[in-house]
Amino acid sequence: MFKTEEMEINLGPQHPSTHGVLRVKLHLDGETVVRCVPMIGYLHRGVEKICENKTFFQGQVWTDRTDYVASVSNNLGWAEGVEKLFGITVPRRAHYIRTMLTELNRITSHLLWLGTHALDIGAMTVFLYAFREREEILSIFEAFCGARLTTTAFRIGGLREDIPPGFEKQVRAFQARFLDCIDEYEILLTENRIWKKRTIGVAMLNAEDAIALGVTGPVLRAAGSAYDIRKAFPYAAYGEMDFDVATQPAGDTYARYLVRLEEMRQAHRIVNQCLDGLPEGPVMAKLPKVLKSEVNEIYHAIEAPKGELGYYFIGEKGGVNPYRMHIRAPSFINLQALSKMVEGRLLADVIAAIGTLDVVLGEVDR
Amino acid sequence: MIPMTPTLTQYLVISLLQIVVVLGFVMTLVPLLTFAERKVIAYVQVRLGATRVAGGLWGAQQGRTHQSRTFTGGLNGLMWWLGRVPVFSILRGLPMFIADALKLLTKEDIVPVNADKAVFVLSPALAMVAAFTVFAAISFAPGALFYFPASFPFLGGLPFNGFLTDINVGLLFILGVASVGVYGIVLGAWASNSKYPLLGGLRSAAQIVSYEVPLTLSLLVPVVLTGSLNFNEMSTRMATDVPVNGLVGIGRSLLMFVGFFVYTTCGFAETNRTPFDLAEAENELVAGFHTEYSGMKFSFFFLSEYASMITVSALATAFFLGGHYLLPFGLQPVWNHFFEHSSNAFMAWTCAPSILWFLLKIFFLLFVFLWVRATLPRYRYDQLMNVGWKFLIPYTLIMFVIAALLRYAA
Repeated sequence: MFKTEEMEINLGPQHPSTHGVLRVKLHLDGETVVRCVPMIGYLHRGVEKICENKTFFQGQVWTDRTDYVASVSNNLGWAEGVEKLFGITVPRRAHYIRTMLTELNRITSHLLWLGTHALDIGAMTVFLYAFREREEILSIFEAFCGARLTTTAFRIGGLREDIPPGFEKQVRAFQARFLDCIDEYEILLTENRIWKKRTIGVAMLNAEDAIALGVTGPVLRAAGSAYDIRKAFPYAAYGEMDFDVATQPAGDTYARYLVRLEEMRQAHRIVNQCLDGLPEGPVMAKLPKVLKSEVNEIYHAIEAPKGELGYYFIGEKGGVNPYRMHIRAPSFINLQALSKMVEGRLLADVIAAIGTLDVVLGEVDR
Repeated sequence: MIPMTPTLTQYLVISLLQIVVVLGFVMTLVPLLTFAERKVIAYVQVRLGATRVAGGLWGAQQGRTHQSRTFTGGLNGLMWWLGRVPVFSILRGLPMFIADALKLLTKEDIVPVNADKAVFVLSPALAMVAAFTVFAAISFAPGALFYFPASFPFLGGLPFNGFLTDINVGLLFILGVASVGVYGIVLGAWASNSKYPLLGGLRSAAQIVSYEVPLTLSLLVPVVLTGSLNFNEMSTRMATDVPVNGLVGIGRSLLMFVGFFVYTTCGFAETNRTPFDLAEAENELVAGFHTEYSGMKFSFFFLSEYASMITVSALATAFFLGGHYLLPFGLQPVWNHFFEHSSNAFMAWTCAPSILWFLLKIFFLLFVFLWVRATLPRYRYDQLMNVGWKFLIPYTLIMFVIAALLRYAA
């Protein structure tokens, strides 16, 4: 007679919508996912180990390459972590510029997420619109530090250079346009029936499960928990900024979409405040030529676009390198939720779930 | 001119000529449609290449200073300059289309080792043949396009028709042949002996089989209203049958209006276009049923998809949008009532059937296909089935009953 068996299918590592080299091993019953196992490691470069062999100044370059769509955030985490380790006080002006660039970076990261997520669900126009704005922000980064993607934007103790002439005008030009651009994406998606059908109730993750799995960032906030490190443990200039934490109660893909859109709006607000309230003064603290650590360990977490990005440093006596460095990568930890989100659902939901988790494989594998 | 009855040889020659012309037309339209798709989507999505590459296959790659010195660079400059005139801006992006066609022609033709070779090779042909045979029954113009002048050797005085065959059951023929196309997809997917194509093929089979039902039912609405399955007769009756009373006329037009949207929805599903392009959902199934295909075999599937887009548009035009007449949804009698005997020659002309209206409507519908592709996300598999079975089929059945009542009332 007829025999049925589960089909085992490898989604990736070469697949159009696994955002890099994620491989997801799926057991399918028809199109229903019975089991889903994410397999990682295709992009492992040993960043943590490499950083242990680099000085504190050199290590930041490697953080560009973990979450390569949010390198400014990674730079901030590294710089602030090292500053915390050595007790360096950063000038206020540097804090403001850092905050501004990090928020612009949050926008680029969310734009990339929005574009690819919409593309995965089949709406290809949003992708190109989002990239149009992303290009503009990358040009802002280029004006600031000469690089568009791997920025190494900050230095330990502040910034290498103050903002260049014309920079403020460039940022303001972008700021003036950007809110309308978000509305443009919303016109295409927010009330679109097909978009709603594809995202509402899909890849559910409630707050308890999210917290149990260690999931942070927009994924957690979309499940109703208002945990945002910028508010909970303010760093950089966030303590002086006025912004709201975007939350949604539902915990599905649509809620995450709304949360991230709102975060872009809030980031826009913060950038405006940074520009308006930019204090005068130096951008670099006085530092010794060589940083030599004491026996010490610190953990410094920032709210990266993907979630809690933590840098853990152990210093040894007289060491110019970190004795041990660990990155708490939000993508890596958020990816754990994938199996929980998709088992028992359809193949198309796996794609939506990978998109909505917003993982960057450079950060998952490090 | 008195129409004369052709002899058998004359008949064969003229049929052959017509086949060449119609196939030539479709075969030109299909690649141009891919070109149009690239440009329309580029305009929607602010893509730069497709609306700017101006001329010369290598022109796009050359530095600006170098451009004017070479032949292709000069051509590029010329086309760019011509493109400043709005009408000629169509030239911009043309090189991309030529390069695309050349790429498809010259690409290595790979047959997977474990594939069922005979079926693997045959299925793209099957899809292609099904998609193009349909045009045998589609009528582009109701009567003769022109008559050969009497002095013309051998064919003098004979009409050159705007259609190939005038089958009584034209619609039946089209639906029958078009549904063979799904075998091309399913067999091709199965013969690939690979997992993603298999899933794509299964999706496609389920989708096309489900949507064939509401598609046919929605086409039955105008069929019942006019009582004809014939392509030419359909639009003629739509335009000349004056309803017995106004209420029936309004009901007829409303029903056609709703039917048109239902039909177009099903048509999108039948042709595997966004938002129903699940069979080749790139982001889920890599490339769906044609994952293992490359080169010309792939482009056979590709071209057959575009050909069936033209078929769907032609059917929608003929059965809902008034076909060869100006006004859609059976509104033509009203128009004719006022303008048929108008002294204004142009207004009187708009009352007569013309190939122009037919083509314009087809082009508009094709544009809608591209427009929708650039706008909408994709349905999920189960949602697609729900839309088909729980929404479209009941609605089309209800419409069918209303159509029958209106017919009875008329």
